[in-house]
Order: sequence, then structure tokens, then C-alpha cells
Amino acid sequence: MTRVLSPVAGRVVGLAGVPDPVFAQAMVGPGTAVDPRRAPGRAIAPVSGRIVKLHPHAYVVVDAEGHGVLVHLGIDTVKLKGAGFELLAAEGDEVAAGDPVVGWNPAEIESGGRSPICAVVALDAGDGALTDVLESGEVGAGDELFTWD
Amino acid sequence: MDKAEAIVAALGGADNIVEIEPCATRLRTEVSDAGKVDEAALKRAGAFGVMRSGTVVQVVVGPEADTIASDIEDILD
Repeated sequence: MTRVLSPVAGRVVGLAGVPDPVFAQAMVGPGTAVDPRRAPGRAIAPVSGRIVKLHPHAYVVVDAEGHGVLVHLGIDTVKLKGAGFELLAAEGDEVAAGDPVVGWNPAEIESGGRSPICAVVALDAGDGALTDVLESGEVGAGDELFTWD
Repeated sequence: MDKAEAIVAALGGADNIVEIEPCATRLRTEVSDAGKVDEAALKRAGAFGVMRSGTVVQVVVGPEADTIASDIEDILD
């Protein structure tokens, strides 16, 4: 069982609150989403494991059980081509849950006309694999968002 | 036929693809003729979903998008 932590501080809005159908319809997997606090911050690893994909605006960490968790920072942020994101780790790195992975400023993303909402997705998780999924409320970075059996 | 080849075929073939760009979860593609895109074939090729807006077609393939995109670029070259 994997405890999946919030990569950012903010207000939980659930995947349905993400203004993008890929996440809102859970096409790549179930999970939740956090509307981040509008202040410069460091998005952290949601689980302990290996960073198997690292883009400036998104990353995937796979834990020892093979659970891959995608963190996607903002919507349509691929179009920023890395501007406003600072990589604090490298693809292939082993990280502990809570380690910083990407530095960013949600306020900057928003002032550029994009949503900074951060989706946290349990890749390829089956129905019922997630329990205690937060859908609302305030969280700090490192607070538990859901557990994955 | 591997996944990249199947996706190229479902997008109407190499000649129909104007641009392809990977995102964290999807391939963003622009095609010449949207009528040649076969959504059912894209799903058979492993796409979780397809979003279309005119000649822009987004193929949701998950985090392997960058790997698949470079395979597709090899086919297009």
C-alpha cells in the first residue's frame, strides 16, 4: 500500500476540478488535484521511488511496488517550454517522498493566463485501487492525498 | 506493427501529419486532413482517449508520450 502525498500546498479540488478533460475524465488514471497556494514553492515527490519521467512541468515517480504517480503542474504548461520551472532533481534519481523535484511559482503561471492546478494521478490504477481520496479542503505539501493498494 | 506505427497509420499516415509534439500525458498532433483520422484505430493502438478540435488531434497515451513521439518522428523522417 502506498501513501500518496500532496506535492504542493493549497486547496484540494478533485480531478473533476481540473480544467482539462484528460485529467477531469481520469483518462490516464484516478487521483485528485490541488489548486496551489499562489506563492513561489517547490513541488515535492509524492512517493518514495525513482523519477522515471521528468519534464519541467510534470514528473512521474514509481515506487517499490511499481505504483507510478504523475504530478502535472498546471494546465497546458507544456507550452511554456520550461520557462518558470526549475528542475531540482534529475530523471532516474531515487527520491524520498517529500524531496523537492521542481521549483515554480503558481502565481506566475496564472498571470500568464494558465491554470496552475496540480493534478496528482495514480497511473493505470484500477477501479477501487485508491482509498481515502481527498476531494476538498486545505492541504500542506506532504499531507496525504490518498492511499493506493 | 508497433505502437508508434499504429498511431501514425490511425492518424492518416505519415503524409497527413503536419506536426507532432509530446506532452506529459498525450501527443499533440496537427494533421492536414482531419477526416483521415481513425479514432477507433487510435484506441486499438493503445490510446486512452482522443480529443479533436479541427485539425488538432490530441492522442492520450500516458507518460510514454515522449518515447512514442520520438519513435513517430523516426518514422516521419
